[in-house]
Amino acid sequence: MRFLIGCLVCIAAAALLPHARGEIVVRDDVGATVRLRAPATRIVALAPHIVETLYAAGAGGHLVGAVDYSDHPPAARRLARVGGYSRVDLEAVVALRPDLVIAWESGNDMGQVDKLRALGLAVYVSQPNALPEIADQIERLGELAGTQATARAAAAAFRQRLAALRTTHAGKPVVRVFYQIWKAPLTTVGGPQIISDAIRLCGGDNVFGHLRRMSPTVSVEAVLAANPEAIVATGMGDARPDWLHDWDRWTGMTAVRRGNLFHINPDLMQRHTPRILDGTEKLCAALDVARSRRPQP
Amino acid sequence: MPTRRRAILILLLLVLLALASLWTALAAGSIRFTAAEVLAALSGSDPPGADVILQLRLPRALAGFACGGLLALAGTLMQVLLRNPLADPYILGISSGAGTGALFAMLLGLPALAIDGLAFAGALGAMLLVFGLAHGDGSWTQTRLLLTGVIVAAGGGALVTLMLAIAPEDRLRGMLFWLMGDLAQTVSPWPPLATLAATLILTMPFARQLNLLARGLLQAQALGVEVDRLRHTVYLLAALATAAAVTSAGAIGFVGLVVPHLLRLASGNDHRLLLPAAALAGGSLLLLADTLARTLLAPQQLPVGVLTALIGVPVFLFLLSRQPK
Repeated sequence: MRFLIGCLVCIAAAALLPHARGEIVVRDDVGATVRLRAPATRIVALAPHIVETLYAAGAGGHLVGAVDYSDHPPAARRLARVGGYSRVDLEAVVALRPDLVIAWESGNDMGQVDKLRALGLAVYVSQPNALPEIADQIERLGELAGTQATARAAAAAFRQRLAALRTTHAGKPVVRVFYQIWKAPLTTVGGPQIISDAIRLCGGDNVFGHLRRMSPTVSVEAVLAANPEAIVATGMGDARPDWLHDWDRWTGMTAVRRGNLFHINPDLMQRHTPRILDGTEKLCAALDVARSRRPQP
Repeated sequence: MPTRRRAILILLLLVLLALASLWTALAAGSIRFTAAEVLAALSGSDPPGADVILQLRLPRALAGFACGGLLALAGTLMQVLLRNPLADPYILGISSGAGTGALFAMLLGLPALAIDGLAFAGALGAMLLVFGLAHGDGSWTQTRLLLTGVIVAAGGGALVTLMLAIAPEDRLRGMLFWLMGDLAQTVSPWPPLATLAATLILTMPFARQLNLLARGLLQAQALGVEVDRLRHTVYLLAALATAAAVTSAGAIGFVGLVVPHLLRLASGNDHRLLLPAAALAGGSLLLLADTLARTLLAPQQLPVGVLTALIGVPVFLFLLSRQPK
């Protein structure tokens, strides 16, 4: 009798709970539901920032494949490659027999991702567009890989550091910033980009923040018209990009007159990973320098 | 043939159009200037923001005008030489040669000057390849030249596609903008302007012979034209003009195909008038298109090639439908 009641309770519980014991159900960044029967142990990541986030979530050891430029942490360099993020080799993905594929909405070809789904693979789509979403991302990836403990700790550390940065820079005078990611064509970041969020956190105002595209191409004249107080550029690696000097001739611009031309390594700033806080710290420091160069009243 | 008075009138109108488009290019942009401020900047006094007009808008406008003029001039020459209405400056593979060179330089991450240098080298390489392979005497030459050009262009196109496919993501956008034509990257307006003046001065003496050639190879020969010498010289000039335009502004389409046709429809088939008219009209069209490209969605930029087609197609269709059969 007791056994029967126990069984009934079990069945009722199974019916009432949203998922059966052991099954993992997570909503991804585009609102789709991802179901896994067990924590993923063979993960293929289709963007460099996803690889980094998985390592942060303690699930780096569960990775079996990644795309080109997945170079951080150094252990990621040894992962099998499945092509570049915009041109994924689907057969290479399938050959790795992954139990979870993590895709990047704005970088991957979503038609290819749909093909992976049609082949019966579980796909999680990632698209963090604001700084706090990176912490959520770490937690969710940890859940999918069964490394919740590490992931929660990493997410908490990220949130704490983010909150500290926010407090430090809240209420500072606004600095108008032009953020340049490329020279030819002249490319900046629009409002929905996570970098705009980082600029806001530092008490900056992206002069092209009103544009709704991720990375709009703008004219030199539009930059002059916006007259930013600081120009922040990301070129290749740690080196200061040569083209940052091209602005020097426009001495009418506040940023040039005060020498506020800065650069940040794109790996820190343009990847949506925990390291973006290192980049944000550099950005905030640059804006502090810009503030210190204001003429004293 | 148009009378002298009519020819002068047409040229005068085109000069006015060129000046008007130059004025629009100087006055329009993200920063607003009054007409007085633009004039002050041009006359050498130094109002605030004069450097925007003198260092940003003027070089770009002059380069745009020169490239448009070069392309239209080269298109006019190619159409009469090949006696093919579909001929344009790119038909002999020059743009794909330049594209191969420029994209290769971009793939390696070389600076702007090297991109221009390799683009020009690529254009010359394609030109020499086509002329070298198609060299021959007899009535086949024309078809052979055209076919060799088309095949070399296809080969260059394949190389361009290959480089686009293997290029790192961050360089891809610059490459695509180059292929669609982009005046923002022009280093200096003087090389294309000088080439435009030189090409016009060097081809004008051949205008009368080109008129005869337009009536047919045999007629021209019978009337005493040294057809081979004429063709070799003018092909070379047209190819160099195209190479100069493509090097400084990328492969801007449509100007070189449609402006010559437009002028033939509007003013007849006399090359003494057509050649200077093409230089003026092509320059004006490209200049207007570029001004629209940088102001229409400002602060965002559009590729100028899109605008040349969007302006040119309706004008051309309108003129074509008015033409008596």
